[in-house]
Amino acid sequence: MTVIDARDLIKRYRTGGRTLEALKGVDFALEPGEFVSVMGPSGSGKTTLLNILGLLATPTEGQLLLEDRDVTDLNDRKRTLLRKRAIGFVFQHFYLLPTLSAVENVEVPRLFDRDRGREARARDLLTRVGLGDRLEHRPDQLSGGQKQRVAIARSLINDPKIVLADEPTGSLDQETGRQILDEFRRIADEQGVGIIAVTHDELVNEYVDRTFHLVDGEFRWVTLDA
Amino acid sequence: MLDPLYRRFPAILMAKRNLTRTKSRSVLASLGIVIGVIAIASLGMFGVALEYSISSQLGDLGNQVTVSPDQEAGVQKLTERDIQKIRRAAGPTASVSPVKQTVERVTYDRGRSRNELIYGIDDPASVYNASEGRIPDPFQSGVLVGEDVAEDEELQPGNTITVNGTSMRVRAVLGSTSSYSQLNPENRIYLPVTSFEQRGYQQVYVTAESGAAANESAMAIRERLNGREQRVVVQELGSLVDQINETFQVVNTVLVGIAAISLFVAGISILNVMLMSTVERREEIGVLRAVGYQKLDVLKVMLMEATLLGVFGGVVGVFVSAFVGLAINHYTVEDVTATFRLINLWYLLIAFAFAIVVSILSGLYPAWKAANEEPVDALRG
Repeated sequence: MTVIDARDLIKRYRTGGRTLEALKGVDFALEPGEFVSVMGPSGSGKTTLLNILGLLATPTEGQLLLEDRDVTDLNDRKRTLLRKRAIGFVFQHFYLLPTLSAVENVEVPRLFDRDRGREARARDLLTRVGLGDRLEHRPDQLSGGQKQRVAIARSLINDPKIVLADEPTGSLDQETGRQILDEFRRIADEQGVGIIAVTHDELVNEYVDRTFHLVDGEFRWVTLDA
Repeated sequence: MLDPLYRRFPAILMAKRNLTRTKSRSVLASLGIVIGVIAIASLGMFGVALEYSISSQLGDLGNQVTVSPDQEAGVQKLTERDIQKIRRAAGPTASVSPVKQTVERVTYDRGRSRNELIYGIDDPASVYNASEGRIPDPFQSGVLVGEDVAEDEELQPGNTITVNGTSMRVRAVLGSTSSYSQLNPENRIYLPVTSFEQRGYQQVYVTAESGAAANESAMAIRERLNGREQRVVVQELGSLVDQINETFQVVNTVLVGIAAISLFVAGISILNVMLMSTVERREEIGVLRAVGYQKLDVLKVMLMEATLLGVFGGVVGVFVSAFVGLAINHYTVEDVTATFRLINLWYLLIAFAFAIVVSILSGLYPAWKAANEEPVDALRG
């Protein structure tokens, strides 16, 4: 079974009368517990692909299956609901809410739910990513690596099937980057979560199962088990 | 203390944290609301105090009716028969006091003498209260003077004055009534009506039990006396009081309306602050949408911020206004407890409600804008 299956994705943008084809027919599938990376120069369509896989954007053509369910043409409300249920996001710039503590930041995706166990679960997730002693700290009291760990914990609060990471090591030094990648590897192996990291960073490839190389909106080649 | 509230309404928690992030900006935005609330509430309360002090001066004018001969129709005096008719028309519960007027030479104790308007009255005890001495009932001899006359001429019961050559003893000093009343005796001299030689009456005062009864009496008197020919002019003071009250209400509404403009200005400053903050927090809002916040959820958080600004401003404003109200009532009606009259509390409530409504309305557009931002665009930075 695949967690996510993209078939022949095409995305066209209209800019100033010209039509730009950001994705030119991309096929992509991810198994549970798989950690893959998508590499490519800027402008190659990485972010567009990530947005479509993350249900933040819709493809112009092609089909997207999430756990064998066609999610290509859902409306905004349903896509939002699915994002919440099935997809976790980690960003290059962490995007934590500066006014909330680490625990509260992890709780954010579920904050509007009636959920008694939410806080305990957030604490547990933070402890598992090694921030058991930083629970009440605000983002400005945390280092870059710690912030990214909070973001990872946040991406896991809803028990997602996939985690999408946009340049997760882009703002970190190499040592910290390795720790974060270790974390992803562990989450994929232990919790069976599929992880897609979009990156420039060659370091990532040491940790992933497969690397997709995206050039000009097409996968040129795939590296297995680097 | 607020934790259960936050757990129940997480939007409040997020909104509050966001507002405290830019403290001075939030405080300034709600300062506008504070000023608006103070303006509305205190102008409203000022109007009330003004009306209150005027109407306490007007007193219970509402139950008085004055009947005078219609001089335009050629009637110079009211006859005994007219008085009888008026008595019957006014009914048994109203008191009817016919009054005669004449100008006589009056000499006071200290030797000064002047021409004064002298009133003849039949039954003063039913109309006036004595502030000194006692009003004789029936009133057959002596003289009654108003408070101002007594003060100016240093009269008190037992003194004598000379009216048209006849020496008369002052029986009582009449307490003043409302200053706008035609019955106000403060600078009048009353003699028994029996001491007048002239036959007719110049005026009849009818005092009814209530404003409504006065109105009925007035209509009955008009009907009876002006039936066949126009004989009398009937004036109801109640309608005058109503007019004065209406005028005050208009003035008050205009004042409060002007004050409301300041709240609109405050609303614009909230709009401005909220728009700035949606631009600044674009990425955060994008993240919220990415991690599964529906548009409505984002709208809720943003609107909650606007509401909190309004609540904060409103609470402070109401608090300050209450003090302003105390001061207003202290200086105008000299009765601080008048602040707690229901209508003043209404003004406070209205000002507060208006503050909240204005804040929410101002938050609506920025919140809508934030909610409808595409997360992809927002996250691109």
